[in-house]
Amino acid sequence: MHIAVCIKQILDPEISPRAFKINREAKLAEQAGASLVIGPFDLNALEVAIQLKEKHGAKVTVLTFGEEKAQDALRRALAMGADEAVLVAGDGAASREPSVTAKVLAAAIRQLEPVDLVLCGRQSGEWDYGQVPGLLAEELGLPLVPFVPRLDVSGDGFRLERESDAGNVVVEAPKGLVVSITNAQDNNPRLPKVRDIMMANRKPIKKLGAADLGLDEASASASAGRLEVLDLFIPEVDSECEFVEGDDGAEKAANLVKKLLERKVI
Amino acid sequence: MDFLLNDEQRQIVEMVRELAKEKVAPYAAQWDAEERFPHELVEVFAEAGLLGLAVPEEYGGLGAHPLTRVAVIEELAKVDASAALLVAVQDLGMTPILVGASEEQKARWLPKFASGEWLSAFGLTEPGAGSDPGGMVMRARREGDEYVLNGTKIFISNGSVAHGVTVFARTDPDSRGPKGITAFFVEKGTPGFTAVPMKGKLGLRASDTAELVFENCRIPAANRLGEEGEGFSIAMKTLDRSRPNIAAQALGVAQGAFDYALGYIQERQQFGRPVASFQGLQFMLAEMATEIEAARGLTYQAAIRVHEEGKDGARLVTANRYSAMAKMYATDVAMRVTTDAVQLLGGYGIMRDYPVERMMRDAKIFQIYEGTNQIQKIVIARSFLGGAKG
Ligand SMILES: Cc1cc2nc3c(=O)[nH]c(=O)nc-3n(C[C@H](O)[C@H](O)[C@H](O)COP(=O)(O)OP(=O)(O)OC[C@H]3O[C@@H](n4cnc5c(N)ncnc54)[C@H](O)[C@@H]3O)c2cc1C
Repeated sequence: MHIAVCIKQILDPEISPRAFKINREAKLAEQAGASLVIGPFDLNALEVAIQLKEKHGAKVTVLTFGEEKAQDALRRALAMGADEAVLVAGDGAASREPSVTAKVLAAAIRQLEPVDLVLCGRQSGEWDYGQVPGLLAEELGLPLVPFVPRLDVSGDGFRLERESDAGNVVVEAPKGLVVSITNAQDNNPRLPKVRDIMMANRKPIKKLGAADLGLDEASASASAGRLEVLDLFIPEVDSECEFVEGDDGAEKAANLVKKLLERKVI
Repeated sequence: MDFLLNDEQRQIVEMVRELAKEKVAPYAAQWDAEERFPHELVEVFAEAGLLGLAVPEEYGGLGAHPLTRVAVIEELAKVDASAALLVAVQDLGMTPILVGASEEQKARWLPKFASGEWLSAFGLTEPGAGSDPGGMVMRARREGDEYVLNGTKIFISNGSVAHGVTVFARTDPDSRGPKGITAFFVEKGTPGFTAVPMKGKLGLRASDTAELVFENCRIPAANRLGEEGEGFSIAMKTLDRSRPNIAAQALGVAQGAFDYALGYIQERQQFGRPVASFQGLQFMLAEMATEIEAARGLTYQAAIRVHEEGKDGARLVTANRYSAMAKMYATDVAMRVTTDAVQLLGGYGIMRDYPVERMMRDAKIFQIYEGTNQIQKIVIARSFLGGAKG
């Protein structure tokens, strides 16, 4: 079994709100002192892939469309247990619109030995469009099962649990599909051990450019996008504290209702 | 200074940061309050590979560069000095084996330390011999192919939880000072050897500190490290190598306290604005940050020099100057920075609900153990003046 996992390197979403800064001109978040990490749902996807590998034996190839520094994300994935890593290098790749990312990743996946399963996190964790899995399935001409917390091999294909508004749905699918993974207790990403990190640094990372993928430069560049970010800002939240007066509970409650009505909260 | 770390070291530090956040930080205050050694952490650290960092690969360890160890210890100490000490003492306790044991002995003991199945400890200090280990009185008498140990070691980190302890004792009853001292490896459970935890410490309360008592404790002569009389030199070689670890521990605590205080003063309002807007506090912050960075420079430098010069168990000639400087400076910085961090938090700083008071209590001990900072000054001065004594 060959599993491809698509991951994205993002700004650590757990930095304190005070440390989070954006560049309004460039319409981008600033890295400043924050570290770069693998998107949280992508980590869940990696964990699912590695658990499948441990249980059934599989080769796990991890891919990212990113800048040179995204190699750190690939190293982490190798340390967690992925076998091979592919970097599709592109400046500013992290802010490409989803259709471009999907096109590039699809081209890279087509170059791998045939894959039985393509896993993605359900959304990246920063822009959070959540569209790459669907668009990637479209590009590859494969079916998509979205929002999957867990899956296993079943017969010649897979048995998957899918979260839906009405509850969890169990589906079966033949090999050759794209799955977007959501978080669950049993796919909490493992921390690599020191030894795994050391071994991961001895493995090669395969680097590809647009030309290697048979794509012309333009179709992988920012200009290929049709989506324009008009503005980017951190919403300001004002808070005030006011004590509601009153002689007893009933009067306080009545005064509270009055204030809420005045402010059109209710 | 982290530009000195390579990609691999940076990735290891990142992993340790995540591990510390999940498995150490949430419990550090509780372990401190209960003065409890966190046995559960041993397994976590062993699993992650943190207890075998110093062991060469041929004995099942990771053969990590001392700078990697320093960076790991620093990262752990940012959230809990006791947890960091667990890693540092594992290193300290097995260094006598690395620098003084035969191949056969290394193959026998090191794999167990490498996997974290065994914890180690280093027993040098005695009730009457602290700064002056040459004043030790513990005896080791040869009887056939055994040695009989009698004496007491005190303040031994990991003493009651370790599975193997290196201890130093006099094999020559007529000797004085550094001469006539020999190193031995004693396994836990050896009849005549008991370890009694010492409770009531100011800081490092989640670290095990024990008194080791040897009463006619018989160990095989095969457990002797090096030759008779080489013990003092093995102990000094060990301390020369381990001091950067203690410097790193201090550095991490200082950084942890600084980071906490930095966040706090931007939130805390007085006179209608964040207290961080007062220049008086800004100046403190600037000094703290600069001292921390200087300590980091010295600590990393010491680790690199120790590695370069200390290959194959050699006695350090110039690197020991830097490891003493790093130990002295970083631990003094930790004391100042943690004290100032408490100051920046005002009254809240002294409360157990905030981590900085624990950091300040922990920091005090750094100035004392692995050679007090007065002793470090002697080491540094001697490195310039040779054997000349003051
Ligand atoms: C928590 C903890 C853990 C420890 N862990 C270990 C361990 O794992 N293994 C181990 O072997 N030991 C350990 N120690 C012991 C530690 O190394 C000693 O406490 C330390 O070396 C000082 O010895 P002392 O306590 O006997 O103080 P003393 O030597 O009695 O010193 C008292 C004072 O005199 C000063 N002084 C002494 N001689 C001189 C001099 N020549 N010039 C100037 N000033 C001098 C000292 O600096 C100090 O201020 C630990 C101690 C503590 C507190």
